[in-house]
Amino acid sequence: MSDEPKNPVAARGLIWTGVVIAYAVVMLFPIFWMAAMMVMPNDAMFARPTVWLFVPTLEHFDYVLNLGFSWNLLTSFVLCTVSTALVILIGTPAAYAFARFEMKLKDDLFLFILATRMAPPVCLVIPFYLIFAKLGLLDTFAGLTLAYMTFNLSFYVWVLRSFCRDLPVELEEAAELEGWSRIQIFRRVVFPLLRNGIVATAVLCFIFAWNEFLFAFMLGGETVQTLPVSIPKLITSQGVRWGEMAVVGIAALVPVLVAVFLLQRHIVRGLTLGAVKG
Amino acid sequence: MTNVGEAVPLSVSAAQPSARERIWYPYLLIAPSMLTLTVVSLIPFLYTVYLSVHAAKFGRVTDFVGADNYITLLTDARFWNSVGTAVIFVAIAVPIEFMLGLVGALILNQNVRGRSILIPLLFMPTMMAPIVVGLLWKIMLAGSWGLISYNVLERFHLIGQTSIFASSDLALYALIFVDIWQWTPFMMLAFFAGLQALPLGPYRAAAVDGANSVQVFFNITLPMLMPLLVVIGLLRFIDAFKVFDTVYILTGGGPGIATETPSILANKMTFEFWNIGEASALAVLVWIAFFAFCNVFYQIAKKRLNAF
Repeated sequence: MSDEPKNPVAARGLIWTGVVIAYAVVMLFPIFWMAAMMVMPNDAMFARPTVWLFVPTLEHFDYVLNLGFSWNLLTSFVLCTVSTALVILIGTPAAYAFARFEMKLKDDLFLFILATRMAPPVCLVIPFYLIFAKLGLLDTFAGLTLAYMTFNLSFYVWVLRSFCRDLPVELEEAAELEGWSRIQIFRRVVFPLLRNGIVATAVLCFIFAWNEFLFAFMLGGETVQTLPVSIPKLITSQGVRWGEMAVVGIAALVPVLVAVFLLQRHIVRGLTLGAVKG
Repeated sequence: MTNVGEAVPLSVSAAQPSARERIWYPYLLIAPSMLTLTVVSLIPFLYTVYLSVHAAKFGRVTDFVGADNYITLLTDARFWNSVGTAVIFVAIAVPIEFMLGLVGALILNQNVRGRSILIPLLFMPTMMAPIVVGLLWKIMLAGSWGLISYNVLERFHLIGQTSIFASSDLALYALIFVDIWQWTPFMMLAFFAGLQALPLGPYRAAAVDGANSVQVFFNITLPMLMPLLVVIGLLRFIDAFKVFDTVYILTGGGPGIATETPSILANKMTFEFWNIGEASALAVLVWIAFFAFCNVFYQIAKKRLNAF
């Protein structure tokens, strides 16, 4: 009974798989091409008609490395790690509290968090720039870490709350009856169950910080220069260093690719601010 | 010294939180977050409001000028041009992303194999840094040697040897195209996740009744998916208005002011013209608009989707 409809369904599944693969190849082709440009000699790059076969070169890598690119990479990495760690530390208790407890003005406080997440960065960068200039926070790790709190802390609290709401409250109630303290309950019951949610949300925070451009560009400088900011720097007075840009672009892409494969559908949940469970 | 909490686990009254503790405990948990968010968003907002009613040029804040900055801004054709540009951008890009996303999600929801590999790959345009997305399309659409410029646009005589981003008529549409490339995967995978979460019961009933797939889509799938479609569409709508990075690297608002959105204009006013007062007025207006959008999003998401 189940065999008869199964075969046409399976065959149609293969056709749709083919459609999706074809779509993915077309859509991702620009990324493949940029990857190829990392090793493409300049004369092949600017050729008309397009040259599809060329002898690979490493000159773009040399140029980028000589420009202090590893320093940009390290800066990005440190900045994103520190700001994400802070977000976890500050945000986890808040997300838990919003999911579990009744509070006065809870709805308004929560809306304030959402509004912070949605505020356009271009509006924030004006006051940040002026305040940071007065406090000497321009071009410092502390300044950028603080600026990244606007979008990442609000995002983290908002999304992790949706993970918290999935936890069965009975376990905590049982632990409370056992006489465990609040801190014990959080550490021994809530935290282990919430670990996956925390990791998924934190990795997304890391990616947002990793990809961030405007704050890093306007509030950073020579000392704190992240990877995305080093891209426009390759538009020089002697022309645009396209091959070098491709190298930096792909370098910025690799950690994101890894994270996306690891997180899979948690990403949907994060990007839709918890509206889809994924 | 003995630890009271662990020494007397059987004594319920000693370990159980008192009524007073119950009341302040949640506030204690949210305090660090609320304090941080006040510092990084409420104070900057209030400072922007303060700047917007003062004469502030080149970083020096001088006299109180009342609504002058707002009046200057609202009578400036360049401001209205930027609003118009953003409206065209969002009004074309978001519906196309929405439709393509929905179709893509329905296809992905068929018996597609290897989703665990395909889904992360499809997600790449959305997840990569917007500045890299811009770079990618700067390369593909570069004048003369850009892969798509040369092999498609020039070959079919759609445009001459210059880059499409140099054309004041077409640059905005090129940016819309890039936005569609970047954000369609997001719509597609969000809708797909929604489809996967739908209950099977109604579909079984429809199969028993002999409904065809078109009927099933319009009578079952679409109504059940509707709240999610609204929420995701609204979220994307809000985000699309904020577009900055890709526009900044691809056209910088040019040629002239052909692709200048309020985001780009605010940034130019601040960091090129150093007209802080007027830029702040613009920022406050944008901020209020976003807060209104955000409120609508929250109410709809909460009531119709019961998501939050």
